[in-house]
Amino acid sequence: MAADFKRFMEDSREMSRRSFLAIAGWVGFTVASAIALFQSVKFIQPNATYEDPPAFKPVGDLAIPTNYAVGSTTVIIDKRVVINRDTDGFYAISLICTHLGCTPRYFPDVTSDLVNAGTQISKDPDTGQLATRANPILPGFKCPCHGSRYFRDADNFFGPAPRPMDRVHIELAKDGKLFIDRSIVVDHHYRLKV
Amino acid sequence: MKVIRGAVDEMWSVMEQMVGSIFRHGLPLTDKIAARTALTNFVLHIHPVRVRRSWIRMSYTLCLGGLSFFLFIVLTVTGLYLMFYYVPSINHAYQDMRDLQFVVTFGGLIRNMHRWAAHAMVITVWLHMARVFLTGSYKKPREFNWGVGTLLLLITLLLSFTGYLLPWDQLSIWAVTVGTNMAKYAPIAGPYTRYLMLGGHAVGDATLLRFYVMHVVGLPLIGFLLMVVHFWRVRKDGFSGGL
Repeated sequence: MAADFKRFMEDSREMSRRSFLAIAGWVGFTVASAIALFQSVKFIQPNATYEDPPAFKPVGDLAIPTNYAVGSTTVIIDKRVVINRDTDGFYAISLICTHLGCTPRYFPDVTSDLVNAGTQISKDPDTGQLATRANPILPGFKCPCHGSRYFRDADNFFGPAPRPMDRVHIELAKDGKLFIDRSIVVDHHYRLKV
Repeated sequence: MKVIRGAVDEMWSVMEQMVGSIFRHGLPLTDKIAARTALTNFVLHIHPVRVRRSWIRMSYTLCLGGLSFFLFIVLTVTGLYLMFYYVPSINHAYQDMRDLQFVVTFGGLIRNMHRWAAHAMVITVWLHMARVFLTGSYKKPREFNWGVGTLLLLITLLLSFTGYLLPWDQLSIWAVTVGTNMAKYAPIAGPYTRYLMLGGHAVGDATLLRFYVMHVVGLPLIGFLLMVVHFWRVRKDGFSGGL
């Protein structure tokens, strides 16, 4: 095969029928193998997954906006979503740590141990709150995997997390219920006004 | 009387032929017979006919490659036992693992053997690689086998990673979440690779089945074929030998 090909490269008129068929056979084999490999990768790529759909309405009382107090933080753990209500409206957080994807957990106090140990905690830009020795307690989220910490509004302030958790789309459906789509990441300033 | 004697003789010769077809060279009483036995026997042919004592000095090899292979055999056998009770589905996996640990006769022993042998194999394979590196045994003419060895290290680590998901407890699920997210950080192909590994967007039923198939069939098969080449190359290149 290699000898056939070398002779062909030197002088194309030198190719015998046998050499031509050998080369054609090997080219065909290579192309067929490459296609088979490509299709094998396509085969293990699922075309349909039967996972929980990204869009949902919270069940029960949590579907009704008036049930959320201003300033409240509500974790819907099986959907890995947080719904916050502030004075300027609602926003939803995708509860997936931006470090390596674990689920952070809500705690009413994520700052006091750091403040007491002398760690400087930067100011939370949205709430304007600052954890100080006089007032060391702020609520937020702690990730169980590698200890990243987030303020209540999903901004990271400690640990390996590189950026805030994603804010996702939240709107009011026609039936007056909250509707959340986890597949749509929205801007930091997005608010649902009710 | 003559008929019976003839029948006994016939039986005897058949027996002799059967035994002779299995043990072809008789007892290895001389070096020559021993060498011929090793050379013509499938099981023994893995071993060289002659080995110098200095080549396999314990203080030189630490027997780390042999230990790794031994642990691989332990893992294959205990893994086979575990497969009788384990169903790779999110509704069954954790319960099956608990049953193996607490209900099945000797299940706890088998599961722990599998678990500890797996930890030990990762350690012995790493140390084997370190020993080969430190004694310079990867140099010519053994570069090719060093390459095969690095692939075997990779297979060992992938087996360890895929096996980690199978108990389906919190540690498993989040460890694989973390592991596949690390794969996602790879440039360009990262997110797609993660999708293929998970069979979806989060660790779930599809992931468990995928990891199970790779753990019990795919990776051991590739590993076995590479081991065949690895051992064959050891025979062809010879032992690097202690000083």
